[in-house]
Amino acid sequence: MTREEVAAVIKKHILDNLEDLGENDINTAKSMKDFGANSLDIIEVVSCSMRELKIKIPRAELADIITIDQLTDKFMEHIT
Amino acid sequence: MDNALRFSLADFFFNDNPDVLKPPSDFEEWMSDSRIQACFSFFEQQLLSAPKTSTEILSNLDGKRHKFINLTSYNYLGLSTHPEVIAAAIEGLKQYGLGASGAPLLSGTLDLHVTFARMLAEFKQKEDCLLFSSGLGGNLGTMQGLLRKGDLLVMDEKCHKSLVDGGTLARVKMKFFEHNDPLHLNRILEQHKGIRTLLAIEGVYSMDGDLVKLPEIVDVCNQYPNVRIFIDEAHSTLMFGDNGRGVAEHFGLEDKIGISFGTLSKSFGGLGGFVCSNAKIIRYLKGYASPYNFSCAPSPPVIAGMIKALEVATRDSSLKDKLWDNTAYFKKNLKDMQLDTGGTESQVIPIIIGSSGELLFEMATAVQKRGLFLQPVDFPAVPAHSRRFRISVSSQLSKEEIDTACNIIEDEIAQRLP
Repeated sequence: MTREEVAAVIKKHILDNLEDLGENDINTAKSMKDFGANSLDIIEVVSCSMRELKIKIPRAELADIITIDQLTDKFMEHIT
Repeated sequence: MDNALRFSLADFFFNDNPDVLKPPSDFEEWMSDSRIQACFSFFEQQLLSAPKTSTEILSNLDGKRHKFINLTSYNYLGLSTHPEVIAAAIEGLKQYGLGASGAPLLSGTLDLHVTFARMLAEFKQKEDCLLFSSGLGGNLGTMQGLLRKGDLLVMDEKCHKSLVDGGTLARVKMKFFEHNDPLHLNRILEQHKGIRTLLAIEGVYSMDGDLVKLPEIVDVCNQYPNVRIFIDEAHSTLMFGDNGRGVAEHFGLEDKIGISFGTLSKSFGGLGGFVCSNAKIIRYLKGYASPYNFSCAPSPPVIAGMIKALEVATRDSSLKDKLWDNTAYFKKNLKDMQLDTGGTESQVIPIIIGSSGELLFEMATAVQKRGLFLQPVDFPAVPAHSRRFRISVSSQLSKEEIDTACNIIEDEIAQRLP
């Protein structure tokens, strides 16, 4: 799976979970919080994305991730 | 599972098992790992006597009964076993029986409930009060009863799960501001001007023991007439303020609090919750707070005991004074050991040991084998980089018990830290 495909999965779940947000509004160099996500929204996006990508990364290892790009990179480390 | 220790309960929330009555298959695998079982063995250990500072526990570490110095129970003022409280509860039991046998609106309201609610309203200097059978239910029910879709619930990020669950149930938009950060709060409120908004904060934050920065937060809220303040004084009622009314009294800002919540399970030593506010909104809440009107009313002997507990705790300051003396003495000892107690300003004292879960449980095993009931607090209850122990100081602690506890903490925690 390519990085673009992983990024597309994350983006899809961001759009599913955040109201009033269009695809073009998402800047992957920013945090989901910048688009109005609260911590529950972020957990939902991360969990749904991991389910779809069939990967499981301990939540404790995701604590320091800030941007969507960093999340994508972390997911790529676990994609076989 | 090779890397079982890297996972936590935060990682098994979603369940893909086709059978709804079976947990996720990897959860079963994780739970069967001997290292995870060792961590979980600290939970649900059985107390064999009252949750006093000196108690007996059936230890899960070796399956045997041991005497413990108890630093974990929330019995801050020792009221759960106060002789006058027990005597009052027994009288309540004799007169009213064990259960209220009904929901409050239909048949569960006893004169005891009305008396106690009036006492609490007067104590908190609000017009009226609503009693709940559980503290969690009180928070959840207040959020769910007050808020509607389209409203905004703004919370400190360290607020209790019961408030978050209440917001989820009410289907409101929830925003979390960074812990005790009035500037971040202001940015959120500025973005949502004009929307019906409840701001939820806590008097004492339960995992860190620090106080809400109430003066700064009130200053922010004063700029937004659409925002009302809810304060959860679960860990501060009967202990903070000259009259024990809580952190809002401590700061002299009670008139800025629209609605004030308290629990009966901590300093009161019983079980239940209560919320105090203006009489009209309490009347409204009675109709819509499900944990109130769809639950059996609180158990009569518990309320009889709580009436006495309120009287005992407020007739003089002796219990409160003893609590603060013990807290100061404990903190001085921990400071001498150069332990990281975070920003505690209360009787809740964390000992933050860092990111290692293995070290946390190694220390927990060592302190409990020495007879100290001090429980580890692991991720996700606290951030992964600040796993900790959490001391609940009680007025019941003797100086000798604190000295013994501190010796064990020094040997088994301080000296094991890198």
